[in-house]
Amino acid sequence: MSTRAPLTRFRGVLLGALVFVAALAIWEAWARSAESFYFPPVSEIGREALDVWPSADFLTAVGASVKRLAAGYAIGATAGVSIGLAMGSSRRVRSTLGPTTEFLRALPVIAVVPIAISLLDDGDTMRIAVIAFGVFFPVLVATVAGVCGVPPEIRDTAALFHLGKVERTIRVYLPAALPTIFAGLRTALSIGLVLVVIAEFTGTGDGLGVYIWTQRFLFDVQAMYAGILFLGLLGYVLNGLLLVLERRVLAWHYGAIGEPVH
Amino acid sequence: MSPSTEKAVLRVAGLGKRYSSDGPPALTDVTFDVAQGELLAIVGPSGCGKTTLLRIMCGLLPSSEGTVLLDGRPVSRPSGEVALVFQDYSRSLFPWLNVRRNVTFPLARDGLSRAERAARAEAALSEVGLEGDGSKYPWQLSGGMQQRVAIARALVSRPAVVFLDEPFASVDALTRAELQDLLLSIHAHAEDGGTTIVHVTHDVDEAVYLADRVLMLTPSPGTVAASVEVGLPRPRNQTATRSSLRFLDLRNEVHDVIVQARR
Repeated sequence: MSTRAPLTRFRGVLLGALVFVAALAIWEAWARSAESFYFPPVSEIGREALDVWPSADFLTAVGASVKRLAAGYAIGATAGVSIGLAMGSSRRVRSTLGPTTEFLRALPVIAVVPIAISLLDDGDTMRIAVIAFGVFFPVLVATVAGVCGVPPEIRDTAALFHLGKVERTIRVYLPAALPTIFAGLRTALSIGLVLVVIAEFTGTGDGLGVYIWTQRFLFDVQAMYAGILFLGLLGYVLNGLLLVLERRVLAWHYGAIGEPVH
Repeated sequence: MSPSTEKAVLRVAGLGKRYSSDGPPALTDVTFDVAQGELLAIVGPSGCGKTTLLRIMCGLLPSSEGTVLLDGRPVSRPSGEVALVFQDYSRSLFPWLNVRRNVTFPLARDGLSRAERAARAEAALSEVGLEGDGSKYPWQLSGGMQQRVAIARALVSRPAVVFLDEPFASVDALTRAELQDLLLSIHAHAEDGGTTIVHVTHDVDEAVYLADRVLMLTPSPGTVAASVEVGLPRPRNQTATRSSLRFLDLRNEVHDVIVQARR
C-alpha cells in the first residue's frame, strides 16, 4: 500500500520519462555529430526497427528465442525449486549436495557453453540446456535460503501438526519461502535472457542472437541495433510479466509488509 | 472447575536436559503431573528452561533424562495430540492462508469431510470471538486478534493438552486482560471434561489469576521449586479476583519463592 499522494507519484513517473527521453536525445545528437558507422542515430535505428520487426524472418527469430528461453527457464526453475526445497528442508541432503552445487555455481555459466556445444551440438537442446543450467543456480540458492529462513515457530507448528516430510515441505516450507524464491526467479530471468543470446551467438540456425550476429557480419548496423533494441524490450516485458505474477501470488506477503520496492 | 488429581493426562518424571554432554544442565529432575481438565501455570524467571521444558513435553526436543507420558504413552516426537500457542503470533500463523484456512490446517489429516472441517473451524472461531473474520488474512488483524486465531487453531483438533508459551507477553495490558479471560472461558466451557491447559509465563499475577495450580521453577538448572494450589473461586474476575486477599497472599507467596530461588 503506497502512502504517496497521486500527484507526487505522477511527478515521479513524469521525471522518469523525461530522463529517458533526454538520454535518447543526447544519443541522437552525439551520434549525428560523431558520424560513427557503428553508432547510428537513434532515429535511424527506430525507423529500421519499425521496418525489421514485422518481417517474417525477424518474427521467426523472436519465436525461436522465446521458445528456448521459456523451455530453459521452466526446466531450470523447476529443478532449482525442487532441489532447493529438498536441500533446505534436510540437513543431510544439504551437506550431500552442497559442495557440488557450490562448485558449479562458482563456474561462470558462459564457460559451460563450449562444453555444451561439444556434448550436445549446436541445436535447440544445447541452448535450452545452457539456459536451464544458468537459471538453475539463482533459483536453487534463493530456495535454500528461503527454506532455511523459515521462522522456528512455523517449523515447530508444522511439526506439531504431524505432517509428513513431503507434505510439510510443500504445504508449509514452499509457501513460507516463496517471497525469497521469487527474488531468485527474477535474477534467473535476466540471466536467462543473457544466455539465450550467448547460446545463439555461438551457433547457426535461428534466434535473436543469430540474427544480431548475422547483421553484424552483413554490416547492417541499423538492423543489428533493431535486434538489440528488441531484446531490451523483450527483457522489459518479461520482467514486467514476472512482477505481475509475483504480486498476484504474493498478495498476502505484500499485504503484510507493504508494496514491493522495485 | 478445579479437577481432582486422580487422572493425570500428562506425567513428567525425572526430566533432565543437557544441550551438550559436557555443558551445564538446562533442566534437572523435573517431576509433576497435570490432571485432566486442569489449568496449570508454570512460572519462573527467564532462563530457567521454561521453553525447553515445553518443547520436550510437546515432543519437539528430546530429553536427556526422564520421561514424559501423555495419556500413559511416552512422548518422544510430535504426535499431533497436543497443540502449542507461541508468544510470537506473527511468526506462528501462516501468513499465506486466511484465518479460516489457518484454523482448519491442523484438520487436514484427520479424514474429516469438508463440511465437518468448516463447521469445526467456525466453532473454534466463534469460541475466540472471531466469527465473521474467517476470510481475513492475519496481517489484517490486530495482535490480540492474531493470538485469538492461534488459540482457535490450537483448539480445533481437540488436543489432549494445549500448551501456551508466554502467549500474552506481546500484547498491550488491556488486550492481555481480555485474552486471559478468553482463556478462562475456553477452560470453563470445554466439553467432555474440559481442556487441559499448561500455561507458561513469567507473569506471577497472570499465573495466579488463571491457574488451578502454579508450578514454580528455579533458574539454571531449572527444576520445580514449589507447587501451589490456587483455589480461588471460579468464575474469576479481573477486578474482584485480583483485589481479593487470597489472590494477594498467593501472588506474594509465589513471588517470594521465585525471588528466593533466584539467589
